[in-house]
This record gives sequence, C-alpha cells and structure tokens, in this order.
Amino acid sequence: MTLNVDRPVPERRKLAAKPFSRADRIFFGVARAAAFSAIVIVSLILVFLVSRSASTFAEQGIIDFIFGSTWDASLSPIKMQLWPMLWGSILISLIGTALAVPMAISIAYFIEFMAPKRVAKVATLIVDLMAAIPSIVLGLWGAFVFTDVAAGWSKQLNAVFGFIPIFENNSDNFLRSPFIAGLVVTVMIVPIIASITREIFSQMDRDVINAALALGGNRESTLRKVILPTAGGGVVGGVLLGLGRALGETVAILYVLNLVFDTNWYQILESKGGSIASMIISKFGEAGPEEVGGLMAAGVVLFVFTLIINALASYIVAKAQPWRK
Amino acid sequence: MEKVTDLTPVQRPKGNQAAPWAKIALKTRAAIALASLVPSAIALSILFATGMDFMAMLFAIFLPIQVVAAALVGVLVYGRRGILEGLLVVVTIFFASFIVVLLGSVLWSVIQNGSQAISLQFIGQNNYYIKPNTSLEYGGVGHAIIGSLLIVGTSTLITVPMGLATAVYLTETQGKTKGLIRTLLQAMSGLPSVVSGLFIYAAFIASGLTSYAGWTGSLALIPLMLPTVARVSEEALRLVPQELRNGALALGAPAWRAFVQVTLPAARSGMVTAVLLGIARVIGETAPLVLTTFAADRTNLNLFNGAMASLPTYLFGFISMGFDESIQRAWGAALVIMILVAILFTTARLASRTRSKARK
Repeated sequence: MTLNVDRPVPERRKLAAKPFSRADRIFFGVARAAAFSAIVIVSLILVFLVSRSASTFAEQGIIDFIFGSTWDASLSPIKMQLWPMLWGSILISLIGTALAVPMAISIAYFIEFMAPKRVAKVATLIVDLMAAIPSIVLGLWGAFVFTDVAAGWSKQLNAVFGFIPIFENNSDNFLRSPFIAGLVVTVMIVPIIASITREIFSQMDRDVINAALALGGNRESTLRKVILPTAGGGVVGGVLLGLGRALGETVAILYVLNLVFDTNWYQILESKGGSIASMIISKFGEAGPEEVGGLMAAGVVLFVFTLIINALASYIVAKAQPWRK
Repeated sequence: MEKVTDLTPVQRPKGNQAAPWAKIALKTRAAIALASLVPSAIALSILFATGMDFMAMLFAIFLPIQVVAAALVGVLVYGRRGILEGLLVVVTIFFASFIVVLLGSVLWSVIQNGSQAISLQFIGQNNYYIKPNTSLEYGGVGHAIIGSLLIVGTSTLITVPMGLATAVYLTETQGKTKGLIRTLLQAMSGLPSVVSGLFIYAAFIASGLTSYAGWTGSLALIPLMLPTVARVSEEALRLVPQELRNGALALGAPAWRAFVQVTLPAARSGMVTAVLLGIARVIGETAPLVLTTFAADRTNLNLFNGAMASLPTYLFGFISMGFDESIQRAWGAALVIMILVAILFTTARLASRTRSKARK
C-alpha cells in the first residue's frame, strides 16, 4: 500500500444527506416544492393582476396610464392616469427615508457601540416592538394625535425657511401634507432600517475596531474610516428595504394625507399629495367594474416597482455579508 | 552549553488593562458630566423664563449650546479633531431619543385613549345594532376578536408548514437555487399588503368564485406571513450544530428521520418564535382584509360563508366615521391589537430565552 505523500491527510469530505429511500425523496420533494411556492406565489400575483388590468392598460395606453395626471371616473370614456399618485408615493418615501436614515443609523450605532449592555438590551427591545406596531394603529395615532403637532412644526419650518421653494406654502393649510405623511412613514421604517444596520454592525470584526481605537482613533474617526466603509453595503441594502416598505404603505398614510390628482412636485408642506396604495384603498369602496380594473393596474405598477427595489436591496444585503452562505 | 529560551507566551493583559483606550480620566468624566447637564439646565431655564415654543427652544437654543459643550469636551480629550467627536455624540443621542419620544407618544396615546374605551363588555359583545354615535356602554369588538383569530389562525395553519419546509430546503439540502429563493423571500417581505389583497380579490372575488368571506382573507395574509416564518425558522435551523445532524445520519437514520427526531426538536423554541413573529406580522394587517373579507357587525363563525369582521377592519371602519364615540371605539380596538401583539412578542422572547439558556 502506498501513501500519498503530497496529501498525507485527505481533504475533509462534505457530508450531504442524499435521498436514498422513497421517504427521503418525498421529504426533500416537499421541501423543494415549498421553496418554489415562493416563486409560484409571486408569479401568480403578477398573472392575476395583469389579467384583470390588461383591458385598462390597452384602453388607456401604458405610457398615458403611468405618466398622465387625470383620474376621473365620471368621464365617458373613463380616464385613469396614475402619475400624481406614483410621484406622491415616491416623494413621501423619499422624505420618510431621508429622515429615517440618520435616526436608524444613530440608534444602531448607539446600541452597538455606545450604550452599556443593559441599556442596549432595552433599546433593542424597543426597536423590535416598534417594528411590530401595526400600520393602522400608526394611522390612528397620526390622524388624531400627531397631525396637529406636525402641522405646528410645518408652520415653523415655513416661517423660518419659507424662502426655499420646497418649504413654500401658499394656502395657509398645513394639515394632511406629504411632510406629515413622510414623518409617519419615518416612524414606520426606522425600526426596519435600524434592525438591519444593527445586525450588520454587530457582525463586524471587533478586533478591527479595537485596533483603530488603540491607534488613537476616536469615535468619529473610527465610524468614518472603519465602520461605515465595512458596513456601508449592508446599510444601503437596509435603507432600500425601508424604502420599499414606505412605497407600499397603505393605511398609515390614508388618514394623514390629502389625496389629490394634481401633481405636487416638491411643495412638501402643501396640503396635497398622493400615494398609490392609499388611493387604491380609498377608491376601492365605490369603484365600478371599469375603475376596479384601473386600481388593479395601479397595483401592478406598485408591485413591479417595489419588487425591483426589494430585490435590489436583498441582493446588496447578501453581497455585503459574504460571511453568510 | 545550549541556551535555554523561555517558551511561556507573554501574558495578555486582563481586566481594565486590556483596553487602555477605554479608560477615562477623572477630569474628563467631570467635564462630560458638566457638558451633559449645563446646556439642558440653561435651555430649560430659558424655556420657563420666556415661555417660548418648545421646538424653537430645542433647535435654536439647546442644540447649539449642547454641540458647543460637547465639542469643548472633545477638544479637551482629543485635541482639535475632538470637535467632530463631540458633534457625533450629540447627533447620535439626539436622533435616537427623538425617535424614542415618537414611539413613546404612540404607545402612550394608545394606552391612554384605549383604556377609556375598553371594558369587559367592550371585549365581549359584538357590533350588532350599533350606530356610529351609540355610547360606549353598548357593543364591542367581540365579533372582531373572534374573526381575527379565525382568519389569522387559518393562515397560520397553512403558512407554517410551508415556511418550515422552505427553511428545510434552505438549510438541509444542497439545492442550487437557494440564493434565488432567499432573495425572492426577502423581496416578498416588502410586498405591499394592498397588492396581496388585490391579488386575492382578482383571483377569487372578481372572478365570481366566491363573495366576501373569511377564508379569502386568510389566503391574502399568506404572502405577507410566509417570508417572516421562513426566515426566522431558517435562522433557528441554522443554529442547530451540524454535528448533531451528522451524528444522526452516521447512525444510519434517513434524512427525514434525522430532521424530525434530531434537528427539529433541537430547534423547537426557535420554531415557536418563528410562528409567533409571523402571527404578529399579520395580525394588524388592514388593507388585504378590507379588500377580501368586508366588514360585518355580527359574530360569524363560518369562514366559508358571509362577511367576517376582524380587529383591523373594525378599527378601519370606525376611524373615518367622525363621531367622538366611534373614535373612542377605534382607540379601544387599537389597544386590543397592541395587547395581542405585546403578548405574542413576550411569548416569543421567553421562548428564545429558554433556548439561549439551554445552550449554555
């Protein structure tokens, strides 16, 4: 018997459970079927929504449907164009994300690197609990508690920064504006971004951070030169996930926003705005069959939009955590 | 003569010697304490003396003073580059406490307003014969609680096996499409809930297969619940040491038996967490239920026949009615939902705590 001198120790073999018996084959088959059911569900959603809205897309024209700005069910033929709502969704999500990102990163940084252990535990609990507040409860809070407070903030913003176009307000009505809706969305998505950011921070190599501190770095330089470059990808992914959630937010926005089919490009303190998801819910009750087709078409646009953003986000998060396979 | 070298490794520093950069001198401590107390004292005294608006005080007086104070401490400790350090600390704590205050406001208003509406009769009775301005001594959310339990329970029964099997695929097999499935599940977790409701409406109700019923609501919740259940149970299964599985396989157990008798019991508490978090995710979902179950004001125990109320749709219905009594009812329903969520969360946390204890 000869010994292989080059490789005295054979490579460690991977143990894989291979299906030998029929029971095993069924077991793995069920698992595979369940896994592929995710694909099936997503494609079913697309198929059913598209089949119900195909006539709308055909009659209104895809380009007109997305980029036009009139929605009037009383006209004949009925006219349905989505752009004010689509742009409103984007505007609110941008406001919400812009406010949520610094808060979420602050909380994550505070929990992971600043707070003593006991405080950190309580703060983590609070963040988790926040993520579990149903959006309808936030809507209720937004409508009856927060709107008045936020309208006061808007007034002050307008008084101090009114000369900047985005803080203009010509109607003297500060209620139900995209700014307030954006703040409610902020409360919704901070926990989502914060928990992903915190997880990525907690998986960082502590020795690298300690090395930076030992070399005389302070908190600020460590954050800027070590933590953010390492964790940046994951944070961006978390932000995109939050953005996707903000785009699809329905009932929390419904009560704090004035839905108007008149594109509000940038005046975030004006009492008019739009949101696809809220529009669907608010019009659904009294929509005729033809208009329901239009709402389905709006659902398709929303679905495709969020699916792209979420897929991008999860791809970035996965890339940013190469140690997870 | 051979030289003897000492081969004992250098002793690593222990305790507070191990991280000398974390030590803070007494003088610095005093400066930090001063910097965190003085600005708020100044700002508060100005607030009470002049009675100016709180937010204006916060941004115009407190924050600038606080930033300067923190920057001074930073300069004291690190020299000139400490300015940014002070700024970072102030900004971090300010943002974190801002969002905690907002959350506190949400919880406080739900508890305060809800506790005025809630009573035994509010939890027990249904909504039959109740007008928007009927006083709170009559009627309640009983039918909605039952409806929520039935609808969410049914979707749990369907989703949990699916989520568990998906997690099995992601952890126990060598499938080539694992990355794709994981990405897709992550993307599904951001699925707008209204789209899920529209999907079921388009598939079953608009096509005339059925009218509004409880089971369509259950179906609409599945796409929202599946990602949470699958992801958390994947994490739970991943925590089971590979050696346990290999041991079972080496003893000749077929894969399914190794999973059912070894891996699954080891991950039991994690699975409980997965189920509870999945339920907490969907118990407050409103939009899909509004589109698929409709609102009812009577108790309905039959999932397959007739409209069925649930807590979120009850809340949804009463918010926009505009009477003081109806808004009171909405707060009461919100409190009931929050209590349910809190119970689910506490149980999930207890379950995962017993797991971490067992591992030690």
